[in-house]
Amino acid sequence: MIQLDHIYKWVKSGGRRVFLLNDLSLHIEKGEFLSIMGTSGSGKSTLLNVVAMLDGFDEGEYYFEGEAIHDLKAKKRTSIFNENIGFIFQAYHLLDELTVYENIETPLLYKKVKSSERKALVADILDKFNIVGKKDLFPHQLSGGQQQLVGIARALIIKPKLILADEPTGNLNSTQSDEIMKLFKELNEEGVTIIQATHSENNAAYGSRTIKLLDGSISKN
Amino acid sequence: MIRNYIKIAFRNLNRNKLYSTINIGGFALGLSACILIMFYVTHEKSYDTFHEDSKRIFNVFAKTNISGDVIRMNSLSSVAAKMIEDKDPNVSSAIKIKTEYNPVIIKNPENQSQFSETDLVYTDSNFFNFFSFKLINGNPETALERPYSIILSENLAKKYFGETNPIGRNLSLRIDSTYTFTVTGISEETPSNSSIKTDLIVSASSLNTMKEAFYDMRSQIFQGGSFQTFVKLKDPEKVAPVQRSMNALAVQGHEESTDEYFLTNITDIHLLSRESTNVKYVKIFSLVALLILLLALINYISLSTARAGTRAKEIGVRKMNGASQRSVAVQFFLESAVYVFISFLLAILFTILLKPWFFSLVGIQIDSSFFFDPGFISTMVGILVLTIFIAGLYPAIILSSYQPIETLKGNFGNRKNGAQLRQVFTIFQFVVAVGLIISGIVIHQQINHLRTLDTGLSRTDVLMVPLQNTMDNSQSVFREEVENLPGVRKIAAASLPMYGGTNMYFVDDKNSDGQIPLPILATDHEFIDALDIEWSIPLQDENIATKKNSVIINEATINKLHLNPNPIGEIIVFGNSQYEVVGVVKDFYYDSPNNEIGALAMFVSPSKEFSMDFGEKSSCLFIKFRANANVSSIIKDIEGLYKKYDTENAFEYQFMDEAFDALFRSEMRLAKVLNVFIGLIVLISGMGLFGYATFSAQERKKEIGVRKVLGAKVTQITYLLSVDFLKLVMVAILIASPIAWYVMQQWLQGFENRTVLEWWIFAFAGTGSILIALATISYQSVKAAVANPVKSLRTE
Ligand SMILES: Nc1ncnc2c1ncn2[C@@H]1O[C@H](COP(=O)(O)OP(=O)(O)O)[C@@H](O)[C@H]1O
Ligand SMILES: [Mg+2]
Repeated sequence: MIQLDHIYKWVKSGGRRVFLLNDLSLHIEKGEFLSIMGTSGSGKSTLLNVVAMLDGFDEGEYYFEGEAIHDLKAKKRTSIFNENIGFIFQAYHLLDELTVYENIETPLLYKKVKSSERKALVADILDKFNIVGKKDLFPHQLSGGQQQLVGIARALIIKPKLILADEPTGNLNSTQSDEIMKLFKELNEEGVTIIQATHSENNAAYGSRTIKLLDGSISKN
Repeated sequence: MIRNYIKIAFRNLNRNKLYSTINIGGFALGLSACILIMFYVTHEKSYDTFHEDSKRIFNVFAKTNISGDVIRMNSLSSVAAKMIEDKDPNVSSAIKIKTEYNPVIIKNPENQSQFSETDLVYTDSNFFNFFSFKLINGNPETALERPYSIILSENLAKKYFGETNPIGRNLSLRIDSTYTFTVTGISEETPSNSSIKTDLIVSASSLNTMKEAFYDMRSQIFQGGSFQTFVKLKDPEKVAPVQRSMNALAVQGHEESTDEYFLTNITDIHLLSRESTNVKYVKIFSLVALLILLLALINYISLSTARAGTRAKEIGVRKMNGASQRSVAVQFFLESAVYVFISFLLAILFTILLKPWFFSLVGIQIDSSFFFDPGFISTMVGILVLTIFIAGLYPAIILSSYQPIETLKGNFGNRKNGAQLRQVFTIFQFVVAVGLIISGIVIHQQINHLRTLDTGLSRTDVLMVPLQNTMDNSQSVFREEVENLPGVRKIAAASLPMYGGTNMYFVDDKNSDGQIPLPILATDHEFIDALDIEWSIPLQDENIATKKNSVIINEATINKLHLNPNPIGEIIVFGNSQYEVVGVVKDFYYDSPNNEIGALAMFVSPSKEFSMDFGEKSSCLFIKFRANANVSSIIKDIEGLYKKYDTENAFEYQFMDEAFDALFRSEMRLAKVLNVFIGLIVLISGMGLFGYATFSAQERKKEIGVRKVLGAKVTQITYLLSVDFLKLVMVAILIASPIAWYVMQQWLQGFENRTVLEWWIFAFAGTGSILIALATISYQSVKAAVANPVKSLRTE
């Protein structure tokens, strides 16, 4: 599904290149649940952003389902992202002035899904995540774990093939954290490909494969 | 989706109450001030445009040359209108109008009720054809045909006849003699933007048989006279040929005529009329309205962009969830539309509430139908659309183009972004505020300067009471009784009140064959003494002044008539009579101190004989009180006496110093109105600064937190937050001061007597604005400085 070949990404600092991603090659099959580990600053977020096509890279090749991303225009990349990828943030990034229901509904509005269908889809996912009772609350009225659930629900509402999660449980306690991981596991079993960045060995263990990043490269244990 | 956006717009509004109040409230306030001023300006500019043929209707005036002085004549002889209509085929019709400025006593003979009215108008029978005034009752074609026909406004008809039908009924009008008029029509009330008053219209044919009109009707040639004359041209472009025809007509009547005739479109009369300061007002007010609107807009935009910066994260999230750049732009435009719309609704509410107060402040009346003027409404809609557009532009275009990942990482720099723009805005606002404060003080100073001016005569504690000819022979009895009232120190009389204009006589020029116009004043022999007018060359002997054919002149007359520096004994020739100069007084202002003191000749009569002797129709008593007198009770006593001797005309009085102050009425009104607007502009600028300070403090929350953890004191943080703003205000003061100095210097050039622009005015305005700015920002600065750093760091 995803094929990264010899990806380099750098920034210039004092005339010298500082490598954020350094000759990184990675293949991810459909249906995998990949955990990316590494210390803070090792390049996990950078890698996820590149995979999500939110950020570019300087050298190398990236194929998403056979499509050569490195040759595509920004607009096309955005549309591939919007069609296929759900992104989950450590800081949740919910819209403060929208209710739970409206937050989850937002991606459907942008996809111009019909009203009746929207209702059905949102109702489904609220039910599935057990947050029907919270649907009219605003984000600041929820606990961190509940907020992250909403964030995940929102990412899933467009039925993405791929979920990218950047330290999704970084702000949560271990119980909440385990719940989210169980949810990921279930989703993965339903056929969704998942890539998560994490610090925690425990979380990483939920995945089907783990890679370790060090200074922008995959370290071979 | 749109419903969704509007919903969010309202939630944001509700969640950021402070921001909403400042932003929407401030904008609405500015807008409503702007709307009110626009009413005024549009109304002023709309004078006489309601006439269907307004583009083709012209007023005739003439310039005539009297020994070098060009005098403007606004009225022509009674035959002029007819003559030009007959002579020039470009003129499709013409009309004459004479206004009676003296009060007319109107009685309904059926019930003997009696009213004193001014602004009676005599005009031709084609009046309703020529202009677009409407009759409610009566035949517009024939109502003014017969002599002694009168048309009343609806209100006056009610006043004289109550609810009964006035058509065909009689009214007696006492002009000098008394005449009986028949009511032939009821007119609509005069529109507020008409320069012709139509409350009382009388057929001009009546004048043929009225003895008061003898002089008005006498001239049978095309020349100056008593009738305002209008022509309606077939083609409005044919002004020049018609002017030529009129000049030719004037020469036909009087071979040596050098009079030049001109046409002014009727819609220009109001703003061009000499005594009105309308043009000045309209210009200044338009500028102020523009500034207020601009400041309010700037505030609105500045605050919107400041807030938009804090919404960068939201935009990032939306984009990550599939929002296109376009849909983000649409969202921000919609939000802008919602806020601007609310502001407009609020502004309309403010306008309705403030309207009566504002109109009384500027001293105008505006018909309410005027508020639905299509031009006015379309201007408002234009501003609405423009505001929505501008206020939505920045967030819609700039913010929507950011890469989502940048904004979410927090790399999005609010502070860099738009901060420079906001600084420029803030400086601009304070330039305007400081500039206006300086101007306000200077205008105030100038008015004070004029009011306290030494004008060469004492005007305090002097009451002027005009006496009408209806008092007739009782004038001297009345005078005596007033003089005997306790509290009255001195009493004097003159043919006219002060500061209301003088009569002109023509005297022979010693150096040429020509004639020189010379203002004259008839006084009693107490006048000079009672008003403390100083002598330059005193009278040789007390009685000489009242001798027949004596005249007292002021110093200015010596130059004007080219007399000897010591002119005692010189002869001035008034028509057939010769007068000998017996005394010279120092120059004193008998008219506006905005003009140079003109020449003046004074004819002095013995007090007792004053009224009869000079044969004036009316005169004016000058009653000087003792300093400790109970003025209001004396005025009551005087009124009682007045009513005893004059049963027809109302008792009127004016304090001399108030009459003098009234000469600057337009400046005082300007000052009052400006005060309000300056206050408003300071308020709007303050609100803008407050909003800016609020966001700046929010933006720097983290920085403040870190600094405090590192040991910064509250005072240091407050200083840090305030000093940036103060710098902006200082820059504004530096920019505003020279501009204001220059503009006010120009303004002062319009005055003969002017105040000096002193440095303290600028210092005061500068310090004042710094204090205002300090007060505004200190709240936010201190609040941010004392906030618990741990809390602000955690929320980041
Ligand atoms: N735009 C950038 N400019 C310079 N350095 C960057 C930029 N973005 C990330 N970095 C650096 O790249 C490294 C990797 O960052 P990141 O991918 O966020 O690491 P992680 O998510 O593993 O903590 C860090 O050292 C970070 O400081
Ligand atoms: Mg990271």
